[in-house]
Amino acid sequence: MSGVLRWILTRLLVMGVTLLGASLVIFFALRLLPGGYESVVLGPLASEEQRQAAAERWGLDQPLWVQYWEWARGALTGDFGISLISQVPVLDELQLRMPVTGTLALMALAAAVLVGVPLGILTGLRSTRRSGGAAGRLVAGLGISIPEFVLGPAVLYVVSVRMSGFGVGSLSRLTEDPVGLVRALVLPAGVLAFSCVAVTARTTRDVVMGVLVEPHITAAVARGERPWHIVRHHVLRNSAVPILTLLGTITAYLLGGAVIVETVFNIPGIGSYMITGLGRQDYAVVQASVLLAATLFVVINAALEIAATFVDPRVSSKGRR
Amino acid sequence: MSEQSEPIVAVDGLVAEYDARGGVAVALAGVDLRISRGERLGIVGESGSGKTTLALALGGLLPGNCRLSSGVVSSCGTTVRAGDGRTARADELRTLRREKIAFIAQDPAASLDPTTRIGRQFAVAMKAQGRPMTPDEIDEALSAVRIERPGEVRRLYPHQVSGGMAQRIAIAMAVARRPQLLIADEPTAALDVEVRSEVLSLIVRLAAEHDITLIWVSHDIPAVRRWCTRAVVMNDGRVVEQGPVDRVLVEPEHPYARELVNALRAGAGAGEQR
Repeated sequence: MSGVLRWILTRLLVMGVTLLGASLVIFFALRLLPGGYESVVLGPLASEEQRQAAAERWGLDQPLWVQYWEWARGALTGDFGISLISQVPVLDELQLRMPVTGTLALMALAAAVLVGVPLGILTGLRSTRRSGGAAGRLVAGLGISIPEFVLGPAVLYVVSVRMSGFGVGSLSRLTEDPVGLVRALVLPAGVLAFSCVAVTARTTRDVVMGVLVEPHITAAVARGERPWHIVRHHVLRNSAVPILTLLGTITAYLLGGAVIVETVFNIPGIGSYMITGLGRQDYAVVQASVLLAATLFVVINAALEIAATFVDPRVSSKGRR
Repeated sequence: MSEQSEPIVAVDGLVAEYDARGGVAVALAGVDLRISRGERLGIVGESGSGKTTLALALGGLLPGNCRLSSGVVSSCGTTVRAGDGRTARADELRTLRREKIAFIAQDPAASLDPTTRIGRQFAVAMKAQGRPMTPDEIDEALSAVRIERPGEVRRLYPHQVSGGMAQRIAIAMAVARRPQLLIADEPTAALDVEVRSEVLSLIVRLAAEHDITLIWVSHDIPAVRRWCTRAVVMNDGRVVEQGPVDRVLVEPEHPYARELVNALRAGAGAGEQR
């Protein structure tokens, strides 16, 4: 078995263990919350008999490890149970909401890659000039210091009161009208992407500045290579691994940020579904939403890590040492 | 004057200053130097004496925080800095580095792009010089620096080869460009003692074979004496003594040069006893 293949299989195994750990934390952390589903549904005045009957009905009287086993076994086959509040299978709800949140996150991620990375490269290359450094710091400062719950309502106000053209709140299905869905999500995705673009630009800038002072770049300059030749053949490739790592972190941030943006813009996505479920201690909903987010995060990070081994062969050889 | 009789390097009263906290640090304090074509010149001196700054100044490769504040420096017919303060344009410097000067750095592994296979970066570098090479030609260039199985080495990444082999690859890349002037800044500093002599003899042999003028920046006085024809001793940004190696490194006239040579002899003697 080649070294790279062994390294990839190890990463996949680590991914499985991480997901197992995440599922345990999600399940048991929810049970640590005070109250419980029965209290939320029946209210504070319900009798002990009523509580027991409700717990029996939903299997909440079983030992925790039995409940976990039932849930984990179902989750592996795609059965996330039934929402205790709406009585609708959680999977059906997720299938409806996933395209919305996925499109939202992908649009923000695309902005981070398509705007943040080039901006960071340009400011990194111009870092010796004052304009480059100042521009980089300004963009990063603005992006990092304005949170979504401030920017979101501000954008919403400006657009709804001062402008027209973006139909916030009128969402189409991805399969029926993908352009309509993307159009409706432009503003929320813009709000979600704002800090991501800033963080990506700032980090990319720092990475590029770090690569520019590496001896092999000096060697390329000493060989008389043209600046854009050096950028294309040496700087971009050597900057790629930290940027890929950053994109993995940003994915986690996007999944968290989506919760706020979906709430602010009233978007029926996974984030708002999870927040609603959490407020009602709807175990199946919260468990499925968080596990889905964790799976996405772990899968995307593993994919980025595997991609990094193809960009920089030292990554996999470090892992093998 | 014909091109052959003109010095390949002419430095007159060169002053270089680094921006430092609270002012400037003078790295070169009026250096005068002539190097003839075909010479093998060794530049010796303590750390901070200005050796590397001088070597970098010849290719216009000084870092952004260093400036040539006065004097003249000309390499391979290109005036890097004129007496009136004019400096070569960026494209002139690129042409100089691409066509006439080659550098060999201290840390060979670090001077190779870590993300690119050796054969690929060799090809990319040569293409950038306007002299594309086929894989067979690259194999030939690698064989010339005594690399066995060049076809296999071409497919390796820099971190997969030893320091000695990385330095031989860097030498092959430098010499394949057929420069007029080869500047090697402590080319064996990062190598094991066993491979130092081998690498140095390789550089000297290739320089002689291809009629390349060699400037070798080093702390290693015995090696400079063995491999170079002329030596320059630097101290505090000045050339304090220069001439044939057998005179400068055996019976130096300048007190500092004498002190340096004696100190290094004593160090070498202690090393041999150990």
